[in-house]
Amino acid sequence: MKILKIPLSAVFLALLLLPAWLQAADFIESAAFSGKNGIAVAFAVPVDKTAAGEVSRYTVYEENDPDIKLSLASAALGSDGRSLQLLFAEPLNSAKTHVVRVQGLGDGAELNFKVAKPYFGHLFSILVAALLINNFVFTKYLGLCVFFGTSKRKKTAKGMGVVFTIVMVASASMSWLFYQFTLIPFHLDFLQIVVFIGLVSLTVQAVDTILRKVNPVLFNSFGVYLVLVIANCVIIAVPLIMSSLNYNFLETFMLALGAGGGFLLALYLMSSVRERLELAKIPPTFKGLPIAFIVAGQFALAFLGFSGLQLF
Amino acid sequence: MTTSSNTKTPWELLSRGILSENPIFRLALSMCPAVGISTTVMNGLMLGVAVLLVQVFSSVTISLFKNQIHPRIRIPTYTLTIATWVTVIDLVMAAYLPGAYAKMGIFIKLIVAFAIITMRLEMFACKENAADSFWDGVGMGLGFMVGMVVIGFVRELLGSGAILGYDVLGFKPLLFFILPSAGFFVVGLMMAFFNWVELVYKRRKGIQS
Amino acid sequence: MKDILNIVFRLTVSCLMAAMVMGAAFILTDKAKKHNEHAREERTMYSLLGYGEGKPVPSTLALHQIYRYVITEPGRQLIGYLVPTTHAGKTGYTLVSLDLEGKMADRKAVALDVEQSREKEDRDKAILAVIGPGKEIRFADHTIVVTDNGKRVAYLLGGKFPGFKTFINVMLALDQQFTTLGLEVLENEEDPGLGAEIEKDYFKNQFKGRAVDVLKGLQVVKEPLPDQYRQALEGRLAGADVSRIMEQFKDKNIYALTGATISSRMLTDGLKGMVGKFVYRLDILDHVLNEQKIAVSF
Repeated sequence: MKILKIPLSAVFLALLLLPAWLQAADFIESAAFSGKNGIAVAFAVPVDKTAAGEVSRYTVYEENDPDIKLSLASAALGSDGRSLQLLFAEPLNSAKTHVVRVQGLGDGAELNFKVAKPYFGHLFSILVAALLINNFVFTKYLGLCVFFGTSKRKKTAKGMGVVFTIVMVASASMSWLFYQFTLIPFHLDFLQIVVFIGLVSLTVQAVDTILRKVNPVLFNSFGVYLVLVIANCVIIAVPLIMSSLNYNFLETFMLALGAGGGFLLALYLMSSVRERLELAKIPPTFKGLPIAFIVAGQFALAFLGFSGLQLF
Repeated sequence: MTTSSNTKTPWELLSRGILSENPIFRLALSMCPAVGISTTVMNGLMLGVAVLLVQVFSSVTISLFKNQIHPRIRIPTYTLTIATWVTVIDLVMAAYLPGAYAKMGIFIKLIVAFAIITMRLEMFACKENAADSFWDGVGMGLGFMVGMVVIGFVRELLGSGAILGYDVLGFKPLLFFILPSAGFFVVGLMMAFFNWVELVYKRRKGIQS
Repeated sequence: MKDILNIVFRLTVSCLMAAMVMGAAFILTDKAKKHNEHAREERTMYSLLGYGEGKPVPSTLALHQIYRYVITEPGRQLIGYLVPTTHAGKTGYTLVSLDLEGKMADRKAVALDVEQSREKEDRDKAILAVIGPGKEIRFADHTIVVTDNGKRVAYLLGGKFPGFKTFINVMLALDQQFTTLGLEVLENEEDPGLGAEIEKDYFKNQFKGRAVDVLKGLQVVKEPLPDQYRQALEGRLAGADVSRIMEQFKDKNIYALTGATISSRMLTDGLKGMVGKFVYRLDILDHVLNEQKIAVSF
């Protein structure tokens, strides 16, 4: 586990700093959407108040529609001379990147910067979506065989969940690499099913061998779940989703992490309930799988409540 | 499985797949689509046909080549065969039945991960001849299809008051049944029902014998 | 060692055989897939325009495709319209590039025929060949102009915008005055029974017959759908009654779906955006086409 912690933390640190790296001009400190129809800009140095207030200096459009100029209602500079509030006649579609051009503020040249939702937010929302809103077990109904098989005890649940997450992340990353650099350039799209399942088997085999040699103790407690990973629909669903939505690497990583985490969460919740169920009075025809299905149905209903959750 | 298969007739193989070893209700395998896709009878039928075709083709292929498969690479070979046939069925459906294909979404491609098919290949096809494997495959596929159609029937009737798109009841009893989470409930209840039938049957037999 | 070689050999052979089977299946089905897709699209388009089983498509009707691209060159951006043009009876394609202020920047003939123009790859390649190196192009959207005997009768717009869950893909039909003729929801991933009801007639058809000014100000109200209106929308009344009721409701707001207000709103907003942008752009394009006297087929 420790081996994985260092690259993971490096990735997260990089993600946090990403928005800072993406800032174009030095003159603009930050620019973000504010409210339904506003953009708030912060300048590095104070600018001229009258100049900043002239609406005609600004040209704003959505990146994908450069020929459609959005109508600016007002531009107001704050008292410190550095914070600008742009208000538009109609609500802005904050899901799209907007481009703002300003003429003649500050050092006279044209300023050109983009306003978009933070990339980190976008990635994080993919993670949350895979974890809660589109939980692979309760919302997408995948991986059920393994789910019902390993959710009898909390211990098995935790073991299965963790092993699954690791294999998921590893195989999703490899699938992405293969897809981007081999399948797409050669128009071999239709081979994706075979390739993805092949990569999954390979990953399982590799993790099996590595774990056996590196940490036999760990292998003894978790190794038995590795075989079950292949029978899990989710393991092949994630690369298929990645290919149909054409995600980039970070997005695939987040999706895989969310899928694994969601599976772990589902398993943990289910096993907690099933352990209790063993002490309850259940009619004989319902014992075992039927009652487990009904409990799962209730969880699925509960998870329906996450629909439409938007954090960023 | 204790059955000696050399003397099985096609009918026996078929009935085993549909009743005593029904993949969904008895073996509790490949349940993902049973829950997710069975919102209408048509969906159940389409997926059932797809699974049937993949199962039959894979069973026959493996049983034709059973002597050439090296024992150590059994499982990868099964996986490869299943994946190949799934790809073929996927391409054919996408080309000729785009409406149904769009509703299935990702589930056709997921057939490759169904444990039931691999298990059948391991238990049966790699030991038996092609003709028996064919009937076994058909039996399993039909069992799956029957299961999906039954669940689809219940959900469609109670959820949208229709069957195969035709309005039967004229009103919608409980929208709940179309919501995917109801799949869990319906399957759970049907499993309980099958259990009950078995219990009653055993009790009757117990009293008689 | 021999065993491992044996295994590798057999595995390779099986992989190759599998690849051949899949490759054959792919080649055989690809053509059929494209053909069927195209046939379905055409059927959807004609049904939006009001033609179908009872009303066959007249032979004078023609569909003309306009593809819009965004061309990025160092220093500026252009909007490129790939339009069909007629020269001495033959149809070819011309790329008309407009700058962001709506003035024509460039005009080049593109080597494409009708079959190729439907394939994104062939189109992109042909355009890149014509505009020269150092530029990037991005496909934006495509519009279909419908003419009857050469006169414009309708427009078909394709659009994709966010819904409650992911995206909603629609096709909208407008007449010459930009009044809506019909709406078809092509793809959506909304909840079945809730948001997915946007595909049903009683919601979709509420957008029929809306004048462009009404559409721009359309709001979604959380009120129950009046029974009579519903019957008219689903086509369960006689023709004359349907027209009367639709006339009654044509300036009213959209009734939201039960339990799916947000999906209803996202669809309405998406349509408003689509139509607004289309009308603005078509105006500019028509000006340029008239000014430059480009012989378009519509």
